[in-house]
Amino acid sequence: MAAWDLSVIVEDLGADAPPITISVASDLHIGGVILKLVEKMQIKRDWSDHALWWEQKQRWLLRTAWTLEKCEVHADARLIFMPQHKPLKLGLPNGLTLKLRACFSNPVFQTVMGICRLLSIRHPEELSLLRPVEEKKKKKDKDLSEDIYDLTEVPLSSVSRPCLYNGMPAHFADSDKLEAVYKMLSVTQPLPAPEAIAKQYRPASVVDKAHINGRWLDSSRCLMQQGVKENDRLWLRFKFFSFYDIDPKYDVVRVTQLYEQARWAILLEDIDCTEEEMMLFGSLQYHISKVSQSEPQMLCSSAALDDLETALQSLEVKMEGESSSASELLKTMTAPELNDYLKIFRPKRLTLKGYKQYWFKFQDTSISYFKSKEESIGEPIQQINLKGCEVAPDVNVAAQKFLIKLLIPAPEGMNEVYLRCENEQQYAEWMAACRLASKGKSLADSTFQSEIDSIRSFLAMQKTNGSQGHADAGDESINPHSLVSPRYHKKYKPKQLTPRILDAYQNVAQLSLTDALMRFLQIWQALPDFGLSYVVVRFKGSRKDEVLGIAPNRLIRIDLGVGDVVKTWRYNNMKQWNVNWDIKQVAIEFEGNVNIAFSCLTADCKIVHEYIGGYIFMSTRSREKSDVLNEELFHKLTGGHEAL
Amino acid sequence: MMEQIDDMLNNLIGEIDQLSQSLNSEDDTKEVKDASQEQSTFSIGFTDLKESLNELEDQDLDALVADLESKSSSEELLVCEEAAGLVEEHPLPALTHEPVTVPPEVTEEPSSLMQTTKAQTKLDKIKMALEKLKEAKVRKLIVKVLMSDGSSKTLMVDGRQTVRDVLDTLSEKSHCDQSINWSLCETNPELQIERDLEDHEFFVELLSDWIRHSENKVHFTARPHKYVMFTDPQLFYMWKKKISSQGVVNKQTKELLIKEHFGGSSVIVPDLEGKLYLKENGKKVWRPQYFLLRASGLYYVPKGKTKSSSDLACFVRFENVNVYTASNYREKFKAPTSFCFVLKHPCIQKDSPYIKILCCGDQDSLLLWVTSIRIAKYGPVLYQNYQEAVKRVSSLQTVRSKDAPRLQDQDGQSNGNTFVVNPCADPSLPISTPAEFDSDLDEPPPDFIPPSPPRHAPL
Repeated sequence: MAAWDLSVIVEDLGADAPPITISVASDLHIGGVILKLVEKMQIKRDWSDHALWWEQKQRWLLRTAWTLEKCEVHADARLIFMPQHKPLKLGLPNGLTLKLRACFSNPVFQTVMGICRLLSIRHPEELSLLRPVEEKKKKKDKDLSEDIYDLTEVPLSSVSRPCLYNGMPAHFADSDKLEAVYKMLSVTQPLPAPEAIAKQYRPASVVDKAHINGRWLDSSRCLMQQGVKENDRLWLRFKFFSFYDIDPKYDVVRVTQLYEQARWAILLEDIDCTEEEMMLFGSLQYHISKVSQSEPQMLCSSAALDDLETALQSLEVKMEGESSSASELLKTMTAPELNDYLKIFRPKRLTLKGYKQYWFKFQDTSISYFKSKEESIGEPIQQINLKGCEVAPDVNVAAQKFLIKLLIPAPEGMNEVYLRCENEQQYAEWMAACRLASKGKSLADSTFQSEIDSIRSFLAMQKTNGSQGHADAGDESINPHSLVSPRYHKKYKPKQLTPRILDAYQNVAQLSLTDALMRFLQIWQALPDFGLSYVVVRFKGSRKDEVLGIAPNRLIRIDLGVGDVVKTWRYNNMKQWNVNWDIKQVAIEFEGNVNIAFSCLTADCKIVHEYIGGYIFMSTRSREKSDVLNEELFHKLTGGHEAL
Repeated sequence: MMEQIDDMLNNLIGEIDQLSQSLNSEDDTKEVKDASQEQSTFSIGFTDLKESLNELEDQDLDALVADLESKSSSEELLVCEEAAGLVEEHPLPALTHEPVTVPPEVTEEPSSLMQTTKAQTKLDKIKMALEKLKEAKVRKLIVKVLMSDGSSKTLMVDGRQTVRDVLDTLSEKSHCDQSINWSLCETNPELQIERDLEDHEFFVELLSDWIRHSENKVHFTARPHKYVMFTDPQLFYMWKKKISSQGVVNKQTKELLIKEHFGGSSVIVPDLEGKLYLKENGKKVWRPQYFLLRASGLYYVPKGKTKSSSDLACFVRFENVNVYTASNYREKFKAPTSFCFVLKHPCIQKDSPYIKILCCGDQDSLLLWVTSIRIAKYGPVLYQNYQEAVKRVSSLQTVRSKDAPRLQDQDGQSNGNTFVVNPCADPSLPISTPAEFDSDLDEPPPDFIPPSPPRHAPL
């Protein structure tokens, strides 16, 4: 067969280097071409990751056994010899950027699998890559100073088998630098400054929310084919909101990054919630940031030790529980109690008298009061059991107002009682006691001191924010505006927000880090709009723009005029769906002769197709099969047949 | 490290033994005092202890006597009489004030094979210690439960028993048929409300909210709507659809609905919303208001605001309230319809402005709201209760002989609002075991698969 010249650009030689010409015949296979090329270059190095990229046809020549003829490569072809794995700047859900080597030659679905293996995130099918929202570059120097974590040094071969070393995947254990990367991935980030939240883009409407979904990459094509270049920036995000088999023990990075994505979705109002829910999310963020700073994460632990730990913990709790209801007689001898002069006021009583001072005694879960300290040996004027009561703070540090509002259930209804304390210390102690008592715990409970501490730290929060001119705002002080979306920055001053968050905090203060993270995710997943990805579409036969919401189990149609869901279709009623690529229209048939068709305005219809098929794929996962990811099925369902 | 903990635990167990013995004498004097102070505690359906003891069945009585004999019995009985029907025991006070803290190092210890076995024996010891601690303080109560045939049964219940346990005892005693619908229903005649106790709740704890000489009763009765959210999930998760199309929902769809809403890491509450009438505090008028249910509580749309999440005002959260159905509020409070429900703190037993009363348009809507609020309040526990109930029923069906006389599960026993649900859902039919969510439940991919998008044309 006749020989002809094929010129190949070798990327590693630099942009200005002339192409290398080799003499080939059409029956030479790709592997042979590469061999000839390497021989001719005479550079000794590892070329195993390199492959040929055909610029004009936008495709890789990866099948080394195929001949040039079969690949339809002729003398006019301009081939580039380059590595399949190239560095990529990856924006993580926690907002930080990580530089790593990603595969530019396989379908994005596989690229994400590789990235997730590297980051030790299970179930990579739930994540994908998208093009970032352009940031307005006002300050150029800021980009330079950005901290970039680097994982490009990690040898690709070392990631294949995840094994734990020193509590982290072995490929992170090689150096302090890599350990720092793992810490960044597996530990939640500190609370953002309120300005940092306010500065970021927030979608103002459901149409705004739809735009982000036009940025997803096509899972069935490779990065090169989608115009992504070396050192480009992409975002890694959870795309399919159907999180399979989350286990905090094995999913440290996954849970952490999921939390970060959820937290930002809430702070930036990407998902709507009520004020009560925002306060609860705020209190959990506060708790998580506090605990993750103090508690080094338990990364590895055997099952037996875990059980032991929980058993010991419950033993501790149980024993304290017993003490709270043990006999009166012995309690007086041993149990801790609080004694002090406080002022009491009962707003519901028809009396003009204001606060009256008495000698108060806090014992077990009850408050009793006496005329004076001297009379406290006798019968109290009244004894109030606080078990099951509601406790609310009413505090203004600047005005030295320290009020504990109690709502105590009784057969006749709720009794309102206000206790007024003189100072911070007194308030923190009595408030902590009231909170514990409301949950049926006594002062002997081990959490009493930590409850006092957390109340004091909340008071400190109010103090530093109340007077912003003060220079004493130490590093540890937290601005409550860091915990809520900017909507509430306008609505409430920090000192108004503090008691609201403290109020919600009392229900979560005892959670461990893992439990707090899981609780956050649970509340997020229970929000009515959870898991909805929006696309602006135009339904066939309709002249106006509408929004299609794609959820893990259903599609919803949102009328922009009404601003409400007008129709719901469930996937399990779906008989078939079809995409007309010429007119870019998606048509779906549901049981009962229901047919819908729409064209997509804010995203390519491949993206919508991938969303629907992807969710159907997610629902086919099951425990037995979960070890192996059925990539073929994913591509079949999402219209990526040719990627196989 | 491990040895230290062992020692500590051994000491602890010894200490508990000592304490429970040595404190017995002290206890008695204390008990008398306690009892006289706590006379406000209730008698459940009895005038005095003798009556309650008479009604106890033999084996229960034996158990009680044996129990009391292990203490210094005579004095105890005296105590019981004073407490009128309530037998309370709480010895073992002091030990707990010695803080039991576990050296934190344990958790950091790397595990090895040897330590795993050690950990196991330690676990057993801990369990033993916990049991002892529990036994040391058990509250007992003699309770009269009204049966659906008008008779009554008297039982002794201790503080560790859940509603599920009491239901099991009662089904055994009454030879009733196997159904997941048997419930314990608490009625409050003064407020004209009732509530089906949830299976996981502790029975004695619930009854301790009753006031002395309370008219409240506990009924053992079959409630077809007890687990309706699992037998007919479409009623709640597809409530917007017309009933006619709900009727054709097949088993597979139901299982899928349960999986979607209860199978994940958090329970999804039905997205219920609609107009309800609210009885405002102290006023006679019923004001219509648009309410929305969320996992975090019940919300309403304030005047002039929209339904968007940030505008919603929280009406009530469910942590501290239970949901009750009311009867005859049309007469009592001039309600617009007779389909009312009540949200209140379990302690409140009398009419009070802290009781929240809401009125629905019809029976279906009442079922929808009350059941959905239960889902929001109890979450995954409810599903566990259901699975447990189904398990009990299927195991009982195989064990029990068929010729035993049975109490029939009859609908609509109680005087309050009883829901007539989907007529096709016969509650007495054996229920299939709930799906374990394995592969056969997973949706098969649709057979029709759309074509790929066209590739980019070669340049």
